[in-house]
Amino acid sequence: MSSHAATGQIDHHHDHTTSTGIPNKKLLWWAFLASDCMFFGALISTHLVYRLNPPPGNAIPTQVFNIELTSFSTFILLMSSLLMALAVNAIQKGNVKSTRLMLLGTMFFGCIFLGGQVFEFGHFVHEKHMTLSNSIFGSTFYTLTGTHGTHVAIGVLLLGMMYVRTFKPAGGGGFLLNFVHLAAVSVVAGVAFIYVVPGLIEVIYGLNIGVLLSRAALPLGLGAVAAVAMIILGRSRGELEFGEKNAIDVETIGLYWHFVDIVWIIIFTAVYLLEYL
Amino acid sequence: MSAPADTHPAALAHAPSKFHFYIQIAMILAVITGVEVVLIYLPLPKSLVIGTLVTLSAVKFMFVIFYFMHLRWDKVFCTILFFIGLILAGFTMFALLHLFGADASKPLTSAALLSATTALGLA
Repeated sequence: MSSHAATGQIDHHHDHTTSTGIPNKKLLWWAFLASDCMFFGALISTHLVYRLNPPPGNAIPTQVFNIELTSFSTFILLMSSLLMALAVNAIQKGNVKSTRLMLLGTMFFGCIFLGGQVFEFGHFVHEKHMTLSNSIFGSTFYTLTGTHGTHVAIGVLLLGMMYVRTFKPAGGGGFLLNFVHLAAVSVVAGVAFIYVVPGLIEVIYGLNIGVLLSRAALPLGLGAVAAVAMIILGRSRGELEFGEKNAIDVETIGLYWHFVDIVWIIIFTAVYLLEYL
Repeated sequence: MSAPADTHPAALAHAPSKFHFYIQIAMILAVITGVEVVLIYLPLPKSLVIGTLVTLSAVKFMFVIFYFMHLRWDKVFCTILFFIGLILAGFTMFALLHLFGADASKPLTSAALLSATTALGLA
């Protein structure tokens, strides 16, 4: 089935083949997200319990946190949610090119967020001496935000898989090519949030860019090669087996991504902002 | 991974684009985030700031789930399903905060801990 302009023939909100009228994939994801609410609820509760009744010798959050960076990360994650919504909007109109662009944009912003987290964790450990095991605050903080960060990283991977999926040829096959494409996307994302973004934040805070380039030469080189591979493999390959009919798949990944965003909205308020009162 | 194509008379007329609508929602969310960050630095009563922060977070939460996550346009069962999990999570948090907020659950101060371990012969 070729990718073509939307004909408006598909109802993206109702599925009349199921008894609930809801597509099974969507129902499954909503059920999963409901369970994930309880997961994060428990982690946030644990953090709040120990913040409201801190044991002696606990770290002092306002002396550790960098609220400017965290606020910027929050803004970035909100904008990534916008791009994800626009990706779903694009595929519901059958616009595959725009969908790819928005998916890449969402991944890009997700990597910026993750890079901010990587920088933040490194800064807390090395400069503020707050580790996972030397204080209760550190334990609860890293467990909560680390779990959220892992969710974001999984989301970036899922987005990468969906991005590669948009290139599936109509004639079938292309498994090896898709695997290499996904590997390239994963390497670029990994290098971005582990080296590039934290490095750039360090440069903003005064690190010499030459030091950054020499410290991370190998991963940056690997990332550059993967980026070139991504560009080459991202060229149009003729008729595609991806179009408006696949909007449900993009939408379900979007649900996961937006969920990760709303969890961060709660974490940002409960863990960061309330400490400054 | 393809979904069954589903034709429905109501869907045949193509829905207007939500592109600009989503941009507007995102701008609202960004402004609310900015207000939240500024609010913590204002010399206001603590209870007022906490109440406002919680309210603003709830507003952002609702904007994202109803508009970005499409609950506004989907079947109401999706909303019910998600809110079941959310309410259960809320009650769990409430229970944990109250259980661990009880006097007997509070961590001892250093002096109290030393006194207790000495009394038990563990020091």
